[in-house]
Amino acid sequence: MLKVENVSKSYGSFLAVDDLSFEVGNGEIFALLGVNGAGKTTTFRVIIGLLEKDKGTITLDGKPIDYSVTDKIGFLTEERSLLTKLTVREQAIYYGILKGMKENDILEKLKYWLDRFNVSEYLDKKIKELSKGNQQKIQFITAIINEPKLLILDEPFSGLDPINIEMFMSAIRDLKKTGTSIIFSSHRMEHVELFCEKLVVMMKGKSVLSGSIGEIKKKYRKKNILIKADLDIKKLESIKGVVSVEEQGDHHSYVVSIEDESVVDNVFAYIKTCKNVTSFTVEEPTLNEIFISKVGESYEG
Amino acid sequence: MKDKLKFLIKQSLKKKIDTKWFKIANVIILLALLTLMNIDKIIGFFGGDFNNETQIIVVDNVDQYDLFYSYFEAITDGIEDYDKYKVEKTNESLTALKESLEANDNKIIVVLNPSNEEYLTTEVITYDPLGTTNNQMIFSVLSSLKTTVALQESNLTEKELATLTSPVEMKTLVTNPDLAEESGSKDTVASLLIVILIIPFFFLITMLTQMIGADINEEKSTRGMEIIISNVSPQIHFLSKVISATLFVVIQGLLLIVYAVIGVILSNVSLGTATESTNVLGGIVQSLKDFGMLDLLVQGGLVILVMFLFTLLAYSILAGVLASMTTSIEDYQQLQTPLMIILMIGYYVALMASVFEGALFIKVLAYIPMLSFLIAPVIYLLGQFSLLHLIGSTLVTVICTILMYRYGLRIYKVGILNYSSKKLWKKMFRSLKER
Repeated sequence: MLKVENVSKSYGSFLAVDDLSFEVGNGEIFALLGVNGAGKTTTFRVIIGLLEKDKGTITLDGKPIDYSVTDKIGFLTEERSLLTKLTVREQAIYYGILKGMKENDILEKLKYWLDRFNVSEYLDKKIKELSKGNQQKIQFITAIINEPKLLILDEPFSGLDPINIEMFMSAIRDLKKTGTSIIFSSHRMEHVELFCEKLVVMMKGKSVLSGSIGEIKKKYRKKNILIKADLDIKKLESIKGVVSVEEQGDHHSYVVSIEDESVVDNVFAYIKTCKNVTSFTVEEPTLNEIFISKVGESYEG
Repeated sequence: MKDKLKFLIKQSLKKKIDTKWFKIANVIILLALLTLMNIDKIIGFFGGDFNNETQIIVVDNVDQYDLFYSYFEAITDGIEDYDKYKVEKTNESLTALKESLEANDNKIIVVLNPSNEEYLTTEVITYDPLGTTNNQMIFSVLSSLKTTVALQESNLTEKELATLTSPVEMKTLVTNPDLAEESGSKDTVASLLIVILIIPFFFLITMLTQMIGADINEEKSTRGMEIIISNVSPQIHFLSKVISATLFVVIQGLLLIVYAVIGVILSNVSLGTATESTNVLGGIVQSLKDFGMLDLLVQGGLVILVMFLFTLLAYSILAGVLASMTTSIEDYQQLQTPLMIILMIGYYVALMASVFEGALFIKVLAYIPMLSFLIAPVIYLLGQFSLLHLIGSTLVTVICTILMYRYGLRIYKVGILNYSSKKLWKKMFRSLKER
C-alpha cells in the first residue's frame, strides 16, 4: 500500500505540492488529476524520490521509499525516457538490471510482453527506428517488466490509438489482479472513469477533491430524474420535494427537478403505478462536469 | 548497489568501445600514427625530384678543383643525402655546357675564374633557380676557396696555411657531475618529452570530456535519466560515468602505446638492419640517459602516474558536472571551451619550460591542478623541479580531485534532473550548500 501523508514540495517560493495526502491500496487503481501545472508530475517525482519533499511522509507497505525499495516500483514518465540508440533488447536489459533483475528473467518477460503487444519482431530493432506508439509500448514494458508492487504511470495512454489503449488497460488490470498498487494521470477523463477506483483532483498543488469514484459521483449527483412514461404531471408535482416537471419535446419524456436525493424513492414509487414506463434515470454527472465544478475549467481542454 | 554500479560502468564502457566507430577510429589512429612515424620513408618510397642526383660541373680556370672538391666534401659531410651530389671537373666549353642545360636536369655549373683584385671570381649557372640549400652550400664552399686562394698568395708556409684553413676545434665540457657530456640540445629533449608525455594526454583528455558530455546529455535529453535515477542514486550514476570515462581513456592510452611500438618496429624494419632497429628507441633512451632524465623517471615515475590518473579523474568529474548542468550537447560544447583553453595554456607553458629555465611563474603553475600534469613532469625531468616538489604538486591534484568530487556531486544531483537553463548558475551555487 502506498501512503502519502501531508506532503509538500516547493521550488523556491513556488509551492508545487501543498499538504497532499492519499492512499493507494494493494490492487487498487488510483488517478491523480489536475490541469497542467497542478502538481501531478511533481507528486510522482516526489513519490519516486527524484525530488526531495519539504515535509510529509511517503511509505510503501509501511517503509519509506528509498533505494532499498525502488526495485519494486515501476515508473513511466510522461515524456519518452528511452535511450534511443539502444535496441529494444538492450533497453529492457538496461532498465531491468537497474531494477535488480537477472538478464535471463528480463528476456523471458520481455518476450512475453512483446508477444502480448504484438511487437515481437522489434526485439533487436533500435528504439529510434520505432514509431511513437511502439516506443510507448516499449516504455510501458520496461516500466512493468519487474512486476512492480507500485506502478506509477504519468500519461500512459498518450500517443496511443484506441486498440492499443485497450491493450494497456488490459495489462494494467492484470497487474491490479496481482496486487499491484497503480497510480496514474491522464488527460482523458473517460480513461479515468473506465477503470479507476479512487482519485485525487489537484489544483495549484492542493487536493480539492478526493475519494472513490462512486462516492464522488453520488456526492455530486445532479438533482434531475429523466422519465419516459405515461404520467400525470400534476400528481408528480404534488410529491413533496419535487421542484418542477418539464415535458421534453419528445412525447412522454419528462425532466423532474428534485430538492435532494431522498425524493427519488417517492418519485419512483409513483412511477411504478404509471403505464408505459420505458425509462427512469437519476442523472449522474460526468467526472469532467464534477471537475469543472471544482476547478472551474474543463479537464480535457 | 555495487552490482548496479558495475553494470553501469560496463554499460557505459561498452557503449564507447563496443561500437564500429570506435574500431574505425582506432584503425584510422593506427594508420595516422604509423604514417606520422614513417612519413620520411613514405615520401621517399613514392619518389620525386629529391631522389635525382645533383651534378656539379666545375669549370676550373684557376687550377683549384682539388681544393674545391675537398671543401665540398667537408661541408656535405653532415648532410644525410650527400651521396646524391656528384662533383666533376670539365674541359668542355662554357657555351656548350650552357646549351646542355635543360629543365629538371639538376645540373649546376660552377665557373672558377682568376682575378687580380678579388683573387677569385665565380659564376654559378643553372637552368632552374638554385634551391636555398644548394645556394648556401656552394656559397660556403666558394667563400672558403676564395680565402684559401688569397692566403696562398700571401707567402705563408704550408704549415701556417694548413693551420689557418683548418676548422676551429670546439670542446664542450659540463661540470655537473650527475650529467654526462651533453650529446644534444636540451630543447630537443624537452620537445621529445612533450611529444611523448603531453600531446597524447592532451588528446586523451579532449576525448574524455567529449565522451562524458555526450553520454550524460544523451540520457538527460531522452529523460532516460529519470528512470535511471529512480533506480540508482545520483552518486552511483556519477561514479559510473567518471570511472567508465577514465577507464576508457586508459584503454585508449594503452592502445596508443601499442600503436607507437608498432610504428617504431615498422620504422626500424624499413631501415633494414637489426643494428639500426635498436637505434630509434636506443637514441631516445640514450638522450634521456645523457641528461639524467632516465634516473629521474625511475624515481618519479610512480608519482607522475598517480598525477596523471588523478588528473584524468579530475577532468572526468569536471566534465560530468558541466554535462549535468547543461540541457543539450551544444550547450555543453560551449562550456567545454574553457577546459580546452586551460589545456592549451598548460601545453604552451610546458613548451616554454626549457627556454625559461627555473622560472618561478612556471613552477607556481606546476602546482595548479589540471594544469600541473602538463608542466610538472616536464620541468621535473628537465631538472627544474625536485621530486619533493613533484610529490607536493601531485598531492595538491589528489586533494583537489577529492574536493571536486565532493562538491561536484552536489551540483550533479541537482543538475541531472534540471531541464531549464533559467537561473542555472544560481541553482548550482545553491546546490553547493546542500548536503
